[in-house]
Amino acid sequence: MTDAGTTAVAEGTLKGGGAPPSRAPSKALRSPWTAVPAAAILLVAVYPVLSDDLYYQNMIILSMVFAIGAVGLNIITGYAGYISLGQGAFIGLGAYTVGICVTDIGGSPWVWVPVAGLLSGAIAALLGVVAMRARGHAFVILTIAFLFLVQLLATNWDELTNGTGGITLPLPTWSVDYQYWPFYYALMGLLAVSLLASWWIRRNKFGMGLIAIREDEDKAATVGVSTPTYKILAFAASAVFVGMAGGVYGYYIAFIDPLGMFNILLSVQIILSLLLGGRATLWGPVLGAFIIEWLNETSNNEFGGGNTRLLIFGGLLALVVLFLPQGIIPTAHRWIERWRTRGQAGLAGERLAGIDLDGRAAAATPAAPATSAKPLLEVNGLERRFGGVRAVDGASFAVPEGSITALIGPNGSGKTTLFNLIGGTMAAQAGEVRFDGQRIDGKPPWRRAHLGLGRTFQITRLFREMTVLENVVAPLREFHLGLLGANAVSGREAERAEELLDFVGMRKYADVRASALSFGQQKLVELAQILMLDPKLIMLDEPAGGINPMLIERIGEMIRELNARGKTFLIVEHNMPFVLGLCNPVLVLARGQTIASGTPDEIQRDPKVLDAYLGEDFRLEQPVGA
Amino acid sequence: MTEFLQALILGLLIGGVYALLASGLTLIFGVMNVINIAHGAFLILAAFITWSLWRAIGLDPLLAIVVLTPLMFTFGWLLYNATIRPIRKAPPAASVLLTFGLALFLEGIMGVIWGNTSHSVRPSYANESFQIGELFLPKAQVYGGLVAIVVLTSLYLVLTRSWLGRAIRASAVNPQGAELVGVNVASVAALTFAIGVASAGAGGAIASVLYPFLPGSHYQWIARLLGIIVLGGMGSLPGAAIGALCLGVAELMTVTYIGPEWATGVPYLFVFIVLLLRPQGILGTRLRQDVATT
Repeated sequence: MTDAGTTAVAEGTLKGGGAPPSRAPSKALRSPWTAVPAAAILLVAVYPVLSDDLYYQNMIILSMVFAIGAVGLNIITGYAGYISLGQGAFIGLGAYTVGICVTDIGGSPWVWVPVAGLLSGAIAALLGVVAMRARGHAFVILTIAFLFLVQLLATNWDELTNGTGGITLPLPTWSVDYQYWPFYYALMGLLAVSLLASWWIRRNKFGMGLIAIREDEDKAATVGVSTPTYKILAFAASAVFVGMAGGVYGYYIAFIDPLGMFNILLSVQIILSLLLGGRATLWGPVLGAFIIEWLNETSNNEFGGGNTRLLIFGGLLALVVLFLPQGIIPTAHRWIERWRTRGQAGLAGERLAGIDLDGRAAAATPAAPATSAKPLLEVNGLERRFGGVRAVDGASFAVPEGSITALIGPNGSGKTTLFNLIGGTMAAQAGEVRFDGQRIDGKPPWRRAHLGLGRTFQITRLFREMTVLENVVAPLREFHLGLLGANAVSGREAERAEELLDFVGMRKYADVRASALSFGQQKLVELAQILMLDPKLIMLDEPAGGINPMLIERIGEMIRELNARGKTFLIVEHNMPFVLGLCNPVLVLARGQTIASGTPDEIQRDPKVLDAYLGEDFRLEQPVGA
Repeated sequence: MTEFLQALILGLLIGGVYALLASGLTLIFGVMNVINIAHGAFLILAAFITWSLWRAIGLDPLLAIVVLTPLMFTFGWLLYNATIRPIRKAPPAASVLLTFGLALFLEGIMGVIWGNTSHSVRPSYANESFQIGELFLPKAQVYGGLVAIVVLTSLYLVLTRSWLGRAIRASAVNPQGAELVGVNVASVAALTFAIGVASAGAGGAIASVLYPFLPGSHYQWIARLLGIIVLGGMGSLPGAAIGALCLGVAELMTVTYIGPEWATGVPYLFVFIVLLLRPQGILGTRLRQDVATT
């Protein structure tokens, strides 16, 4: 368990700005650094057989308990970005489950360990239900309250828990020759299983969705990630193995009381392990747990614990946040990466020209697509106020199926708010939105995405710490568990994502972190991202804003080609030549209302439109783009 | 009925003290988007200093506010600039973890200095009560509640009547806008933090008379204060006052009718119920989420 946990997982997360992208995730596995964790695992595995030093055996056992806790916490904190200060509660819950079941029902404590895991998972899922609507800070508070609440229950519910008197568990029945071996190997097995679960989650679409939630929860919802379900599943997953480890831990120390089992310092130790080792890495929590437990034992033996332990834990927590916010493994990784890529130019500045759309460009100006009269999207009397400002004030319009519809209007006319209302990022205060004949206002954003509504943002909102490929794999077309478990790193979903990246000309960048891309490149990736939803309607918020003319032209071509393949578009844009050359019909929004709609020619001549844009005294000498 | 009235009045009095303590926490959150987990530790620190002053020179704990408020203000300002300022731009999670670390560190320091035993400040009036009809109102509670209300009122006046107060409120509502009209948001944040810690100082001095304390008491206090600001609506000062009064009364009712051992659970229940039913709290608002600001 050293800082060289160079797995494919870590490689994927950490590949930084200037790194040359290469599609060879297996490369890392062959690196000499892989030998280090392997040797460490072997050493831990054979240690009890080689040495009968119980001091270190005890230390490793406790390290493994905290490592399991930290690996679990990593799922919600590292992947999903929700800080929990109450993770230690699940150790206590597991221990109490085993303790109570053994005293009240009987049997071997081992039998009850899986029950402890299930119960912890179930309680964590309930916590997830409460947390469903709570963001960031409120969630932290919830976890503190949860920890103290279970401690209070354990203290006061005498009939069940024997209160502060605690529960004493039977001593182990095996021969003393075997020392703590059963505890040791049981915990090692649990640690292995929880690591495997963590690895698996990081590789599948569920894990991608969690990271998407961490990076930008509102945006994640618009690409079909049903955030409450993801969160509830993540909380349950984060607690199951911790509960089981807690059960083993309770049996191991043989005495369970509210002060010891729900001590907030257990939670601190788990958090510290995760932060120190490195969030969102596979081995970070394990590495951190071994270091912290060693520190803990040292402070107890050398300085008598108590206040010294508080000073060390508190001080270390503050220092890690201030000076090592990434943790050991990611920081080490960054150094190695920087050393390896000295003097190589970044890819982000490379010219986009020369990327061939496989001859698609030639065929990309199809005859005007068949626009049916059937409206795909209907908006009726939509309203949204911010205090006294009526941002959207009774807007009504329809987007015909198969069309490329433009939505134009002066600054502040409510275009982006309207997009937010249609996409579901914001709730309308009146009016209705129908999509494909179905009423969708009131549905959460991910449901709308599942129905076939995809949108991009004016200021791109990619998941910055994810690679380009991960960004495109993260969206969820429809919700079923099989798709959540689908492999996102290779396999069908990843292939699909690569095809879409190919379409927008960004395949070369698949392994580059999104934050390293230029604005124009981000727009292309965001387009590929929503295409992953296989949407019927694509809503683009200023696709041509702030990017170079060549790219504008290419985006126009892509829109035409996608339209020829049956996608309907609704585009907000200020670039008039772009809009008038591409779209039909054109809708005009002013002061939150649709004031005109028609063909580009009609719109250019409409006095109401000129008035809205320029004031009534102004007349264009010549229509724009004519 | 007497029992109920007694619990109600005592609850409101203690609620006044809670309001003072929670106001600093909610103010810091409102301006900086920082949950100051160390707030409980600050107030316990103030309580210990009050205790030392009382033991050494017999200074009345409620008078000690005059010393503690500027002392804790300075401490808060220094601490902000040394620790929180560098991570101002970091994700919000960083500040939670940092202040949590500070809380543990302070707990350790207080343990080293004052020991991990229960302390309480007992001025001469600690065992006396006012008797109104059948009601017995302990003098310490009455004085404490009244002093808290005075301090809270002056804080409120600073926030509403002074330039600094307007700058603080502007920074809370719209930092970019405040910056544009000439408010140095970074300095205002430092002052806000210092004011928040100072209010914990004043509140801690009062609390030292009302409750026994030890270094580890800060967990219970922070849980209580977090419950209050979640209930009132995070970042809202009037919300914190309402939440504090609700909690004070609810705790006293729990003590009276259910049992004192369950009273500490009231704030946790608040948190669960509020997050389930109305995540934004009583006076919290859902702000406009403008795409342009992200």
